[in-house]
Amino acid sequence: MSDQDRTPENPLRRELPEEVPAAPAGPQAPQAAGREQDRLTGRQRLVKGLWPLRASRAQLIVAVLLFGLGFGLAVQVASNSDSDSALRGARQEDLVRILDELDDRSQRLGDEKQGLEKQQQELENSSDQAEEARRQTVEKERQLGILAGTVAAQGPGITMTIEDTKGTVEADMLLDAIQELRAAGAEAIQVNGVRVVANTYLTDTGKSVSVDGNKINAPYRFKVIGKPQDLEPALNIPGGVVQTLEKEQATVTVERSDKIVVDALRAAKQPDYARSSSP
Amino acid sequence: MIAVLGLVLGVVAGLLVRPEVPAAVEPYLPIAVVAALDAVFGGLRAMLDGIFDDKVFVVSFLSNVVVAALIVFLGDKLGVGAQLSTGVVVVLGIRIFSNAAAIRRHVFRA
Repeated sequence: MSDQDRTPENPLRRELPEEVPAAPAGPQAPQAAGREQDRLTGRQRLVKGLWPLRASRAQLIVAVLLFGLGFGLAVQVASNSDSDSALRGARQEDLVRILDELDDRSQRLGDEKQGLEKQQQELENSSDQAEEARRQTVEKERQLGILAGTVAAQGPGITMTIEDTKGTVEADMLLDAIQELRAAGAEAIQVNGVRVVANTYLTDTGKSVSVDGNKINAPYRFKVIGKPQDLEPALNIPGGVVQTLEKEQATVTVERSDKIVVDALRAAKQPDYARSSSP
Repeated sequence: MIAVLGLVLGVVAGLLVRPEVPAAVEPYLPIAVVAALDAVFGGLRAMLDGIFDDKVFVVSFLSNVVVAALIVFLGDKLGVGAQLSTGVVVVLGIRIFSNAAAIRRHVFRA
């Protein structure tokens, strides 16, 4: 116990005297002569130290130290060749600079993103507006198409049938009926499959009547879209259309209906002279 | 020979184990390795000269490592860690080169 306690206390003092004989005895013991050792060249010493495998204390201590060196070397090389070591080895100033650059870049990209988002919003707005304009145009086209007779129409209204067995009904009577219907708010009218529009004209053709050049025969069947409560009284007023026609021996029937279909069409005609004066 | 085996074993162990280097030791490990290399070259030269002494080797090895780490530590505290590390590496490199030249003369006689 006392020996072991003493050993760590003064290892140097104990080793020193042993060292002198031990050091030559280690690598060069087989030669066993101081003068012979002096004559050895460095190369021979290297070979001697390398090949006869001897577990001398010096060799063991050096081996332990070299083990530590190799271990540290390998660890350092391994950790240095890691992929993320580009920043690890960088100095503080470099890191600060890199961070600043990244901040600048992210700010620039943020600005760019903001601008692009604004642009996108504007484009969406304008496309919304274009869509709205297109919708309104389509709506207007349909409204005008009903007036111009280029599209079919349906809605509540009345059907008026004029039975003319004697052939006494003339164009001016039908025109009176159409005027009366228009005055009562008729929005779409067709007579025996001919659409009545703004420039419709009626002429007498022998015993029958022509509408826009299309000859039509009795019975004259009017399909009218409008408010039935207005249209029917307008025809039936005393001295009105119905009474006038009945005086001429014609039979007039007026029926209200919730669904009248005016499906006679008329081609849109480009005017030859009239031009729109609105810009 | 055992010493060479120890070096090889150390390298193999380091590559196989791949321990995570603690952050506190990280800046000192490369300098310590270079300092240890200097001690090893010095020891090799001494062996070829026939004046190798294991005690001297141990002391020089450990003191080299400790002093190198100490210098880097001091440099970090003073704010000149990078420059001081470079200085230490340069000095140790010069010593390694001169020792390597001596070894070369012994081994190749040139």
